Amino acid sequence: MIRVTWLQFRAQAFTALAAMAAFAILLAATGPHLASLYAASGLSGCHVDSCQSLAGSFTAEVQSTYTALYVVSVGIILLAPAVIGLFWGAPLIARELETGTSDVAWNQSVTRRSWLAVKLTVGGLTAMAVTEGLSLMQAWWAAPFGRAVSDGAPQGPLSQGRFTELIFATHGITPLGYAAFAFALGVTAGALIRRTLPAMAVTLAVFIALQIAMPLWIRPHFAPADRTVIATAGGFEAGGATGPGGDTLTLVATSLPGQPEAWILSSGPVNAAGQPVSTTPAACDAPSIAGSPDFYGCLTSQGIREAIRYQPASRYWPFQWIETGLYLALALALAGYCFRWINRRRA
Amino acid sequence: MMTAAIEARGLGKQYRRTWALRDCTLAIPEGHVVGLVGPNGAGKTTLLRLATGALTATRGTISVLGEPPAVSPAQLARVGFVAQDTPVYARMRVADHLRLGAWLNPGWDDELAQRRIAQVGLDPKQRAGSLSGGQRAQLALTLALAKRPVLLLLDEPVASLDPLARREFLRSLMEAVAEHGTSVVLSSHLVTDLERVCDYLVVLVASQVRIAGEVSELLASHHRLAGPRRGPGTLPAGQDVIEESHTDKQSTLLVRTDEPIHDPAWTVTPVSMEELVLAYMNPANDIPARRPRLGVAS
Repeated sequence: MIRVTWLQFRAQAFTALAAMAAFAILLAATGPHLASLYAASGLSGCHVDSCQSLAGSFTAEVQSTYTALYVVSVGIILLAPAVIGLFWGAPLIARELETGTSDVAWNQSVTRRSWLAVKLTVGGLTAMAVTEGLSLMQAWWAAPFGRAVSDGAPQGPLSQGRFTELIFATHGITPLGYAAFAFALGVTAGALIRRTLPAMAVTLAVFIALQIAMPLWIRPHFAPADRTVIATAGGFEAGGATGPGGDTLTLVATSLPGQPEAWILSSGPVNAAGQPVSTTPAACDAPSIAGSPDFYGCLTSQGIREAIRYQPASRYWPFQWIETGLYLALALALAGYCFRWINRRRA
Repeated sequence: MMTAAIEARGLGKQYRRTWALRDCTLAIPEGHVVGLVGPNGAGKTTLLRLATGALTATRGTISVLGEPPAVSPAQLARVGFVAQDTPVYARMRVADHLRLGAWLNPGWDDELAQRRIAQVGLDPKQRAGSLSGGQRAQLALTLALAKRPVLLLLDEPVASLDPLARREFLRSLMEAVAEHGTSVVLSSHLVTDLERVCDYLVVLVASQVRIAGEVSELLASHHRLAGPRRGPGTLPAGQDVIEESHTDKQSTLLVRTDEPIHDPAWTVTPVSMEELVLAYMNPANDIPARRPRLGVAS
């Protein structure tokens, strides 16, 4: 059955291999240049005081050349599980039912359970290997950005901590979970809907919905968030709008001092009593100082500080394991459902 | 007692509100080429799909060669199936189909498969999607035959073939069956397809067996009587009227009897298989209560 699965699967496997090769060539062609830029930046072995500015100038330097490639490579890793679920998962059962070839497949001297077990194992493991392979290649390529972030580079398109949503979802072990889940989701949708195209649509919709819900509403709650209150200073995106009732004050913390890789869930200004503040105090409401260090000094003198809810950087791996485990558990549950389905023999 | 090729008791299959097969009880014996005939919607396909395990019964039981369908690799190995429209993998080559068969069936007869492919003129390198309907049917049949099943089930295999391909398909089926002594159950709504190949007949109408038996016995026990007009009640016991038609002066009856017909008023002619099947398929005909005996004592 494994040989037959390979016989029927090899076209897709070769397509995946070709895509991976193209991805590898693209990264291998530019990776050394990127690494040499990092080496030339003086960041390795930099003195504590100079690291931050060196990191900042490094990311600024590579930004113009590599932002597009970086975004595309992250996008490919994000999309790979969805593509696999659509083109490998959804047709696995649905195409057999649609074309009637299930009558060929399930009338050989192999039970449906064995047929499904081998198909799911080969397809699922290949899906995981492909996605994780892409992720590892990109992680190797983007390593200088990661180091620049831990050296204290300010947030930018190329310098996001590994805990931020898109980086978390494309590195570490999470791609394994996504790939297994998307594949099992496609197979299940195909079995239930019995037609390939609608099954693909449903697979895509459900997968995207979960991938959006996960960082927004689920991942932040893997552990109770830590809270801290810090002085308002640099490292904020400040905004204000003039209105009849005074200026509204927004202050979004983009990084946590001392913990560049922490995942900031929410942040905002609070007064001395810890109450949220939404208007700029009159004393600081002068256009001349808006956004300058004087402005932050003024806020501090008014007793206004920044409250931050965050997940500390040390939780990165526990969160990776939790999320991957969650997706793998979902994949196994879907696979279990497929076995029940095929045993009821409703084809 | 001989095991039945297919034995069903109170078998039913329901799709949402409609019953595709309802309260079907039958026993199809082994060792025959059985024609399963009935009008569209009689439940032939459902019965065969239940027998391959492609469907599970809503009610009742079915056993194939004495075991539940598709229960184990060994059971699967003993039953070959060619589905309606003879599906094959469009993107796979003919040779790949044979490799699939060889890898998935311990009893695979590769010599038989290669010989058949050569005989029917299939190019092993050709993709199955580009085969003609007749060639595709031959490939599907080869796949089913080369696993060397004890029982071969075919669901309207020739329905979509032109007359020439139809004849060719049935001829090569009969050759293979004769060579290996395989039992066959072949469904069709056309009697003419089956006339040449079947030695046993099951007529299924609305899930019910209207008649079943060996073709030679059926033909020997049915007669067409023509004579002056008279009611069927005047026939001697043991002669059951299956179909009757009357004009002002004449009566024509299709009669089932195991006894010779002595009444000199009748002109007795033999019936063809097609006439016989049509008479039993006609819902207007009230088949007499004496049930035709099933092929297998149960």
